[in-house]
Amino acid sequence: MNWSDILEFARGPFFYAALLFFIAGMLFRFTRIVLLGWGKDRVKSKGSKLGGVAKTYAKAILVWPFIPWVKNTFNRNPIIYIAGGLFHLGLFVVIFLGAAHMLVWKSLIGFGWPTLPLPIVDWLAAVAIIAMLILFVNRLINPVLKLISGPAEWLNLLVVFLPMVTGYMMTHHLFFQYEMLYSLHMLAVDALLIWIPLSRISHFMFYFFSRTIHGAQFGKRAVSP
Amino acid sequence: MTTTQTAINTFVHETGAWVASQLEACTRCGMCAEACHFYQATGNPEYAPVWKIELVRRAYEQRFTLGGKMRVAMGLDKPIRDEELGAWSKIVYEACTMCNKCALVCPMGIQLGPIIHNVRAGLSDAGLVPEDLKAAVQKQKEIGSPLGATDSVYDQRIEWVADEWEVDLPMDVQGADTLVVFSSIEVMKFPENIAAIAKILNKAGEKWTLSHKAREVVNFGFYEGNEELTKLFMKRVFDGARELGVKRILVTECGHAYDALRWTAANIMDVPDVEITHVAGYIWNLVGAGRIKLKQGALDDKGVITFHDACKIQRRGGHIDEPRELLKILAPNAFKEMTPNKEQAICCGGGGGVIAIKEADPQRYKVFEMKMEQANRIGAKTVAMFCSNCRLQFTDGVQKYNPPFKVAGMSQLVADALVE
Ligand code: HEM
Ligand code: SF4
Ligand code: SF4
Repeated sequence: MNWSDILEFARGPFFYAALLFFIAGMLFRFTRIVLLGWGKDRVKSKGSKLGGVAKTYAKAILVWPFIPWVKNTFNRNPIIYIAGGLFHLGLFVVIFLGAAHMLVWKSLIGFGWPTLPLPIVDWLAAVAIIAMLILFVNRLINPVLKLISGPAEWLNLLVVFLPMVTGYMMTHHLFFQYEMLYSLHMLAVDALLIWIPLSRISHFMFYFFSRTIHGAQFGKRAVSP
Repeated sequence: MTTTQTAINTFVHETGAWVASQLEACTRCGMCAEACHFYQATGNPEYAPVWKIELVRRAYEQRFTLGGKMRVAMGLDKPIRDEELGAWSKIVYEACTMCNKCALVCPMGIQLGPIIHNVRAGLSDAGLVPEDLKAAVQKQKEIGSPLGATDSVYDQRIEWVADEWEVDLPMDVQGADTLVVFSSIEVMKFPENIAAIAKILNKAGEKWTLSHKAREVVNFGFYEGNEELTKLFMKRVFDGARELGVKRILVTECGHAYDALRWTAANIMDVPDVEITHVAGYIWNLVGAGRIKLKQGALDDKGVITFHDACKIQRRGGHIDEPRELLKILAPNAFKEMTPNKEQAICCGGGGGVIAIKEADPQRYKVFEMKMEQANRIGAKTVAMFCSNCRLQFTDGVQKYNPPFKVAGMSQLVADALVE
């Protein structure tokens, strides 16, 4: 077997299988949670639940989703905010606004959209990779993160790191032969797709549950979320 | 059944989609640690809010999720063992005021405070409650007050307050509008609060009453996380309200009780169709409606006055603006905010039952030191608050550290400034 066979497999049947697993897995987790049952909230509101939800999303979207609103906390631990924020920013730009990925989306869902110029995407990808390294080191040394990180947390970082790095090396033709890097990139992407429904990286879906609950709970009490 | 199994069963029982979806959302980023005053004050990583909910997370994942089951099978995660539970009892009872500040810092917006309450519920069912707290809960169950206010002590105290401050304290008045329920902290330690609130209500011409049946507002069962007793203690209050046919229950200066009665009761038991409100909001309503008048600037010549936000009355209760409106009348020039304040404020350190547990003293004082420092930074001469549990903590802390400020109950300040 040579690299082009592996590539054929990794971007062909294996990719579609992984994609299917990802979609089915996320649907399963979604239904599983919803079916656990939502107790009705019979408490009379002081403020407006809907208002609280609207406000919390407005705050989240206007700047970026994970900026909390406590200056004091920011001052005490800026690393996670900045590195975490840049990592996600890079990630989203690469996945949705990079020309190569947009074409993948187009082939999957049938339409495309304007993309950002390569140098910008490229820069943000590099920033995201560096940010991930910082997050990794921070996880190694911060006493709280050391305590709460099990093998699954390390795997999360690794599984996202690999597609990013191989993708970056690919666009720059670094170190290895192109076909080999492409194959590794696709294998890493497939692994990511499979790992997401099994792990906490699924937080991008549950984020919408917890933010909504957050807004409703604070809104109900007429407190700014 | 092993203690672990009992605890796990309770966790699972309490884990509806509401809790589960939030547990799933956690990215284990550890930011919530920085929100918690217990972590800020001690640097102990076990005080990180996310670590406090670790048990529920593991119970939930290992019971409900394929991923969780797989991770245990692959050795990536450990099942919960009996020996571990005790360690969590120390963390969630002795280093958490259930203030929910962490929810504001968590980037996913997870309601950590209420989930920590679920951890307490599991530990309570497993019998792993700190001795001091358990004793206080038993006392409330048996004699109706965790502070030893039996029926006769209560009567004596109320009679004494009426004499000493020359106020009318209506008792068991059928058909009154408002049932006022004091906490035994007020009855036993801050009786001047009772007189103050009575003065305000009498001045406003409120038709109010006390009740023998509903004579204790604090709820130590809620601190413990014991649902049966939480309901029992609230039922006593609601029975009093039903018996007298009142329109509203006015919770006095007790935060945890307000959290239980106002924001929890309706979801776990039958609640009479009455308004449940807190003096912090009610007094401001009386001012707004012109039923009482306050001396403008009454406190302006007494040095800087600041307001301490009680977690259950302000951030979790929603009465953030009302006390400030009152202080703007009483001390338009002398009133100054500490930083952080309002919904971002840090706790006094004694809430959530922490002050009732001797073993928690070291971290309780450390948190108080932070709060004291905030008050000193603005040169406060008076720290006012609307919660007698906070006030207990402040009074204790002031005795220990002798800072240049004194502690005051808001109701008292308002009562002293009433225009005749
Ligand atoms: C709505 C979308 C999303 C939101 C709101 C979100 C939010 C967050 C937040 C707040 C954190 C913790 C802080 C940090 O380390 O940055 C985090 C961590 C993380 N996120 Fe996301 N995320 C989203 C989507 C994604 C996606 C699509 C992926 C990957 C495919 C991803 C991968 C990760 C990883 C690997 C971490 C862990 C970083 C570490 O261990 O320090 N996220 N996310
Ligand atoms: S609820 Fe308050 S005391 Fe408890 S962990 Fe959160 S911030 Fe700390
Ligand atoms: S801040 Fe929120 S998401 Fe981060 S570890 Fe704490 S609970 Fe989890």
